[in-house]
Amino acid sequence: MKTAQEIRAGNVVMHGKDPMIVLRAEYSRGGRNAATVRLKLRGLLSNTGTEVVFRADDKVEQVMLDHKDCTYSYFADPMYVFMDADYNQYEVESGNMGDALNYLEDGMPVEVVFYDGKAISVEVPTSVEREVIWTEPAVKGDTSGKVLKPAKLATGFEVPVPIFVAQGDKIEIDTRTGEYRRRV
Amino acid sequence: MANAHPHGARLPLRWDIFCRVIDNYGDIGVCWRLAVQLAQRGHSVRLFADDPSALRWMAPLGCPGVVVAAGLEPAAPYDPPDVVIDAFGVGLTAAVLKALARRNGAHGRVVAWLNLEYLSAEPYAAASHGLASPVHGGAAAGVRKWFFFPGFTPDTGGLLREPELARRQAQFDRWSWLHDRGTVNTGQRVLSLFCYEPAVLPAWLLSLAAQAAQRPVDVLVTHGRATRAVQAALAQLPADWNPGARVTLRYLPALTQPDFDHLLWSADVNFVRGEDSLVRALWAGVPFIWHIYPQEDQAHLAKLAAFLEVLDEPAHPGLSAYFYWWNGAVPGPAPQLQDERWQPIFAAARSRLLAQDDLVTRLLRFVAENR
Repeated sequence: MKTAQEIRAGNVVMHGKDPMIVLRAEYSRGGRNAATVRLKLRGLLSNTGTEVVFRADDKVEQVMLDHKDCTYSYFADPMYVFMDADYNQYEVESGNMGDALNYLEDGMPVEVVFYDGKAISVEVPTSVEREVIWTEPAVKGDTSGKVLKPAKLATGFEVPVPIFVAQGDKIEIDTRTGEYRRRV
Repeated sequence: MANAHPHGARLPLRWDIFCRVIDNYGDIGVCWRLAVQLAQRGHSVRLFADDPSALRWMAPLGCPGVVVAAGLEPAAPYDPPDVVIDAFGVGLTAAVLKALARRNGAHGRVVAWLNLEYLSAEPYAAASHGLASPVHGGAAAGVRKWFFFPGFTPDTGGLLREPELARRQAQFDRWSWLHDRGTVNTGQRVLSLFCYEPAVLPAWLLSLAAQAAQRPVDVLVTHGRATRAVQAALAQLPADWNPGARVTLRYLPALTQPDFDHLLWSADVNFVRGEDSLVRALWAGVPFIWHIYPQEDQAHLAKLAAFLEVLDEPAHPGLSAYFYWWNGAVPGPAPQLQDERWQPIFAAARSRLLAQDDLVTRLLRFVAENR
């Protein structure tokens, strides 16, 4: 069992008797530092969708799956193609890619996740380094980091960053939360 | 046989509300209001609180139909009611969970188990409101519960609001209530203060003293943390901070819930904190500044920003500046209190919210649809 806040897009969890892939896991801070996690699910066998919510420390039954180290090769709509060290290729439906799409780049190392022999999702490293391709101009001298501004990556994903981060900077991002960690 | 109720739930239902007092009494204050408003609509309510002692001053007269029990473990054997409310993540005991599992496994009888969440204006509240939450482990494995998120929009659980609120407010005599508390109408501005420990409190007091040169100010300081915060702030100020003593600080005793409303209705500007008093301040329709519960990593600032959108604030930047300054998010001197300019904002927000169903109405409808 994992806690709800440990569940990521691409994980498979049991919902009643049905294995369901997590399409999106949204973590929200509530009052008094408590948190909830909303999961958007799709049935692996039924293909039906649903949404559920948990307290962040609620236990969730995760289905243990097979993993394989691969790298990202290319996109052949609607499938993302990954390759292992033996040049075997595995296809993952774009609808099952979840948050991985926020960080995907050519040659990126990932773990492809398998259920019953079928590639169903990918897991990305817990942190990645990416270039900021657009953000508002940096404010010199302010290294307090108290106020945030959006910074866009090449994938189009926006990360809130401190205002001293400039276009062209490389930043480290926590992929579990989508949060800025540091400037590299 | 129970009759159908206009709000959709058959009468009478039995409710158990479980609540833990962490700090500041907001949790038990909300749970008490919920219990009272359910009882007023004909339901039977038990309120289990680990420490219900605050109800002695908050609600000394109690309420018919509401039984208060000290402790979160009901007497054995626990017979679950029709609806169980787990308020603000209190967590139900193993004995209660086992009883829920047993009852929901029995033919024909289901207990509606709801998590009552914290109030927020952020989008996640509406997105998560009313969603099911399957229980994967522990004594209640296999039982389903739901999350109920209070909020400011029709797609949330709404806000607590008793049916008689407007009548009470229309009948209220502000200066009569203030007179009974030693405040006579001399044309002064009246502020109420219910806060945590804002770092800007000394600066705020100095700014009031400066503004009082034109119009005296009475500050009604609530019991507990606000009183202690003011006294600590005064200790940081020079002895002559209040020339002509045109700022009068009046320290109030602990107020019942109805009297807290009276305080809000009596003031020209209210300074409130937490969630329950935020909602009461909205119903008061008087300008207010909100001291939001501070959280790690400044997560509360996003919640503050979301709430300012409820006020439709962007057109009035002076108000948001004051909110952020009061919450320590921006440095600098005290902004101007512009209550006369801000009054229409709060009146309009109140009108918009009054047009929506209240929380208990939505809760009864939800239970009827999902039980």
